[in-house]
Amino acid sequence: MNETFSTLVKELQAIVGERNATDDRAICTSYSRDQHWHFVPAKNPACIVRPGNKEEVRTVLMLANTHKIPVIPYSTGINVRGLTIPVHDGSILLDLSRMNRILEINPDMKTATVEPGVTFGMLQEQTRKYKLRPAFPDAPLTVSVLANYYLRGIYQTSATDGHDHTISYEMILPNGETLKTGSRALSEMPYFRYGVGPDFAGMFCAHPGTCGVVTELTAKLYRLYDNRKEYFIGFDDVGTPTKFIYNLMHDELAASIRLVDNQSWLKGIFGTFDYPYEELPKFVLCVLVEGVDGIFDAKDTLVRAYMKECGGQVLELPAEFASTFEHESLSGAEKSCMVFGIKGRGNYHCIGLYGPLTLAAKYYEMHEKTALEVGIPQDHVHFYIDPIYRFHGQLCYFELDVFYDGSDEEFGDKLRNYNEKQFHRLLELGIYGWFRPYAGIIEPTAERIGYLAEVWKKFLHVLDPNEIMNRGKLF
Amino acid sequence: MELEKEEILSAIHHCVKCKLCSIASFHPNEEWLPLCPSGEYYGYQAFYAPGKMEIFRAILEGEITEPSEGLLKSVYACTVCGACYEKCKQITSVELGAPELFEEMRREMASKGWILDVHTSIADKIKETKNAYGEKYEYKVNAETTDGNADVLYYIGCTARYRVPEIADAMLGIFDKLGLKYQVMGEEWCCGSVLFRTGQVEAAKELVAHNVEEIKRSGAKTVVFTCPGCLKTFEKNYPDMGVELLHSTQFLTRQGNMNLKKEGLKAAYHDPCHLGRDLGIYEEPRAVLSEVADIKKMKREREQAWCCGSGGGVKSAFDDFALWSAAERLKEAKEAGAEALVSACPFCKRNLKEAAEKEQQGELEVYDIVELVNRCLEG
Ligand SMILES: Cc1cc2nc3c(=O)[nH]c(=O)nc-3n(C[C@H](O)[C@H](O)[C@H](O)COP(=O)(O)OP(=O)(O)OC[C@H]3O[C@@H](n4cnc5c(N)ncnc54)[C@H](O)[C@@H]3O)c2cc1C
Ligand code: SF4
Ligand code: SF4
Repeated sequence: MNETFSTLVKELQAIVGERNATDDRAICTSYSRDQHWHFVPAKNPACIVRPGNKEEVRTVLMLANTHKIPVIPYSTGINVRGLTIPVHDGSILLDLSRMNRILEINPDMKTATVEPGVTFGMLQEQTRKYKLRPAFPDAPLTVSVLANYYLRGIYQTSATDGHDHTISYEMILPNGETLKTGSRALSEMPYFRYGVGPDFAGMFCAHPGTCGVVTELTAKLYRLYDNRKEYFIGFDDVGTPTKFIYNLMHDELAASIRLVDNQSWLKGIFGTFDYPYEELPKFVLCVLVEGVDGIFDAKDTLVRAYMKECGGQVLELPAEFASTFEHESLSGAEKSCMVFGIKGRGNYHCIGLYGPLTLAAKYYEMHEKTALEVGIPQDHVHFYIDPIYRFHGQLCYFELDVFYDGSDEEFGDKLRNYNEKQFHRLLELGIYGWFRPYAGIIEPTAERIGYLAEVWKKFLHVLDPNEIMNRGKLF
Repeated sequence: MELEKEEILSAIHHCVKCKLCSIASFHPNEEWLPLCPSGEYYGYQAFYAPGKMEIFRAILEGEITEPSEGLLKSVYACTVCGACYEKCKQITSVELGAPELFEEMRREMASKGWILDVHTSIADKIKETKNAYGEKYEYKVNAETTDGNADVLYYIGCTARYRVPEIADAMLGIFDKLGLKYQVMGEEWCCGSVLFRTGQVEAAKELVAHNVEEIKRSGAKTVVFTCPGCLKTFEKNYPDMGVELLHSTQFLTRQGNMNLKKEGLKAAYHDPCHLGRDLGIYEEPRAVLSEVADIKKMKREREQAWCCGSGGGVKSAFDDFALWSAAERLKEAKEAGAEALVSACPFCKRNLKEAAEKEQQGELEVYDIVELVNRCLEG
């Protein structure tokens, strides 16, 4: 490390305390790679800084801005897309995990306000005391609530939660200014998304890089009901269950609806590797109904009626499977990471996208076809549909998955080929949008979005003229 | 290296950085309970299992070429407690566990001379005195009560001989009160655990050879240990001597009705890492303890017990961290309604006791199970 940089580390230590900033090579190495390393190669940050409060964040950002040093905010680093891996030499990784206070749980408003280091597990531990829960992603409950929502982490384990869980937040910009979105900008009441002018909360999030550092976020909470019932229905193809799924979505009947193949996510949903999954039908639709007494009964009756005519086979499965599905859906996903255990030394690659339910069978067909073309064996090809309510156009999250041996470099090459073809093909066929605008999908997408790409760049430039925030992750 | 480089890298590539290994199972109680002492105390990713694996990868791939302070700290301030692996294997079905990897990492580092002075000085002490504390005196066992022809040999271990002799005294008291014949080694040398755990495998070879020879010569059929660290080392690092190796609690459950008078003490049981996670011995200590005390269950137990903080060479090198971990455990025992925290390992007892005195003003009593058994045995 050159002398200028070690002077900088001393300055950073003066801000956050000696113990909380380091350029030690080994410590930096521990942040150099995530599971997406076949696509985003390992790279060391030049130093790690662990601020303890927003004033420290602000001072660090201003210092970095003055010296034009790239900054990578890191809440828990579990994004599975290489988003916290530096692109440039000399980057500061801002590890925000020390900022892990739940600032408020407001049972009347049904909201929680959290700092970046608060994980879904930490939050659920507290909200359940009020019979409330956050909207959970199907990600391990060790991930940051704030980072997930700020990334627009909005496919979740409960279809009924809808799409937008973020109400408002506070973000510190590279120049040290604080931006507050929604009603938070006007008063101490952070409970309404739309305060003044446009929906700024939406504009600042879901960049593969970030505009600043979000230090507080207020999110919606959802009710926990005592009445629950689970159904598992088997199908031999993707097309047949879509009518049933449509009915459930249309009438808003089920809390959780997930169509998965019998060899992948089902293992996490049921919480065990040890079951003859191959004996189940190829696709299994997992449905969870919940609600207060009278409403629950009515919903359950309707679900059963639709189920009768759905063309699938209602499966009788061990009771603990239903209980795990319940936990995984409504109190935080813990077993979802079992997908990493699927192919021996497992790794997981997916293209996540939003699209209409009507295209489900086409997406799956295309997934199989492209995989075959690049030499990915059929038994590595998996699929996941997660419908989301209250949107027209039958909004669903789709995941085109491949599970593979993470240490197999050659397989990594196949996946890179797969991506190259599939991104274009999906854009041709039609999607609503990518799950997140991560590296690799930006280029083919930017070509299509016309002047929007220019505006996007200019927008980022206004907020971050020195391009220090996650520099290189976009444009 | 004992493991092949490819095998290690492949296990490292298997880590998906989900960090589920940093907390105990969340469902069904929905409580956020940290599991990794070193990660919780130091905070940087390097101190959690996924970060350490990444560092090992960088060492193997030649990216790390110097023993920086952070390298030594992140690698050696890990109690190698294995809690991370117990959680990880449920999720990822990984075969090669983190403790094995971390011990291999230490071996690799030791082979480059990247080792803490305090750990090499332990090796020096052992070389000179054959015990890990460099003590020159002998722990005295009453020669009249031992029997050189007994089938049972009690291997005392350095920590019970020189730092927590009340454990050795209690075990010997139990033998006497139960009227059991036993012998101890004429010349007991350190088992080598601390050397194996800190990567100094070569230095351990002489100890292994001596102890094997002595035990063979003794003619004993069963060797009993109060120290799970010694027992683990004999199980995993020693050649098969054709004798049965038992932990004190396993030995005691075989004694049938010992006429113990229960004291009504409210006691939480702390699973020692080497005894539980490493050797799978969870039931016997509970069975014995339940005969002398009312067991109060702690939230993190068995496979997901919080480590006391002293293993893996941590106590000698990072005492503040060791005491902090122990204090966390004491808090948990208190929350469980216990008056005493009881373990079955001299390392745990020593560290927990020190923390109880320093950080908790002795609010909780700390015992080894054999002490309570000895106390409750009709003399
Ligand atoms: C098995 C598995 C399943 C998953 N399933 C889902 C799912 O169902 N739904 C879902 O939404 N996600 C899912 N994910 C993805 C993942 O959980 C999210 O992307 C995650 O919540 C974000 O990662 P993180 O919280 O660790 O944030 P990080 O990795 O720390 O950060 C992610 C990005 O946000 C930026 N960032 C972080 N903190 C801040 C901040 N305070 N201010 C500004 N920018 C910041 C970072 O720079 C980076 O660009 C899954 C992941 C796994 C491993
Ligand atoms: S649980 Fe296993 S895979 Fe996940 S971070 Fe820990 S060691 Fe890695
Ligand atoms: S062995 Fe124990 S201290 Fe070391 S990383 Fe694993 S859980 Fe943490």
